[in-house]
Amino acid sequence: MKYAHPELIDHLASAYVLGTLAGPARRRFERLQRDRADVQLAVAEWQARLGPLSHAVPPQRPSPKVWAAIAARTRPMPPGAQARAPWAGWLRATGFGAAGLIVGALATTTLLLGAPGLLFTADQVALRTGEKLPASYVGLLTDAQGNGKLLVSSLRHGRTAMLKVIDPITPPATGRLVLWALPTDGPAFVLANVPTSGTALAPMPDTSERLLSKVTRLVVTVETDAAPQTPGTALYSGNCAKLW
Amino acid sequence: MAPILPPMPPDSRPLEQLIAACAQGDHAALAQVYERTHMHLFGVAARMLRHEAAAEDVLQEAFVSIWKSAASYRTVVNGQALQPMTWLIAIVRNKALDALRVQGRRREAHLGDDTADFTDAASGRAAPSAMDMLSSATAAMHIEVCMNTLDSGQRQSLALAYYQGLSHSEVAAQMGAPLGSVKAWIRRGLAKLKTCLASHGTEG
Repeated sequence: MKYAHPELIDHLASAYVLGTLAGPARRRFERLQRDRADVQLAVAEWQARLGPLSHAVPPQRPSPKVWAAIAARTRPMPPGAQARAPWAGWLRATGFGAAGLIVGALATTTLLLGAPGLLFTADQVALRTGEKLPASYVGLLTDAQGNGKLLVSSLRHGRTAMLKVIDPITPPATGRLVLWALPTDGPAFVLANVPTSGTALAPMPDTSERLLSKVTRLVVTVETDAAPQTPGTALYSGNCAKLW
Repeated sequence: MAPILPPMPPDSRPLEQLIAACAQGDHAALAQVYERTHMHLFGVAARMLRHEAAAEDVLQEAFVSIWKSAASYRTVVNGQALQPMTWLIAIVRNKALDALRVQGRRREAHLGDDTADFTDAASGRAAPSAMDMLSSATAAMHIEVCMNTLDSGQRQSLALAYYQGLSHSEVAAQMGAPLGSVKAWIRRGLAKLKTCLASHGTEG
């Protein structure tokens, strides 16, 4: 099945979030989601559309044992506790000593080296073996004092930009924060709205290669106009670099 | 009722900051997320699985997943804020759907009336039907206009799939309708909903 058409991705994302995409198709779509930002975007949009329907479900109280089980599986172990991990004793009790673990590790390594395609996609294998780098565009924007505020990235040929706020941003009193790209051969254009915390995923109207190959600078401004044509005073700025 | 968690100092951080703290390994933040959300999330799982022990397993798996994948939460998607509760619900629903499929669809043999075989464990009262919940949710979201653009088959099939995690064939069995019709209802219903939500500016 071809996953190039946005309409198909949107349809599959809607069925995935609703729950009617089942069996191998659901697993295939989850693998696709791990590798592709446009698929993650389509899924997040459907989650935003359908998620609020769950607010009508009456709340129920689970057994207190549930949190105890979660805490046991998630609480960081104190230093030294790993050596006494319960599964180690279990392995010994069932006859799997250190030799068994070594054999298992060797078998896994052999499988990974000999037939990596069984476990990873071709792209993932290429990245892991160093044949291919995660080609992308990256920008680090800082404030006037040089403090890192925002990290912007987009995969080569990707159609989404990832904005990660690395130091909380105070929301402007009026207007919104806008990320601009400044190409060397044309007018500045808007890339995305900037969140004040967390990470945002924003679609781009074209591939990063077409939009960003001539962009050397990125700036964040405060804008009150719904469709600003030129950037105002830069609040944060930084270089945009292409990584190969 | 015994307290779920030991007493914790008040933490006024919003849910999205608590999730961000989980991504940094702050286990107390996970406890806060659980404290604030577990009853609602358990309700979602219990409604889909119709079995308390199975729903508790799902809640446990979901929170382990939340702890491990907290760094993947996006606060904004395509310019729209993705509410942290929406992200948490999606994780719980995914785990519940996995559990339903693993159960081998044991419910198929006894899919009866939507309300008759499911009661609220806490109150003992009959739980609201999928259609009741769809009506309440659309009223709360102020999207009655959009939901009214769907015909009754589309609304009912979407409600059964969403709230009970039913597959196409299970929805068809429940509604006594041909499988092809159900697939078309769901597909067209989702498309109409998307168009209407976008035109009313109520996405996200």
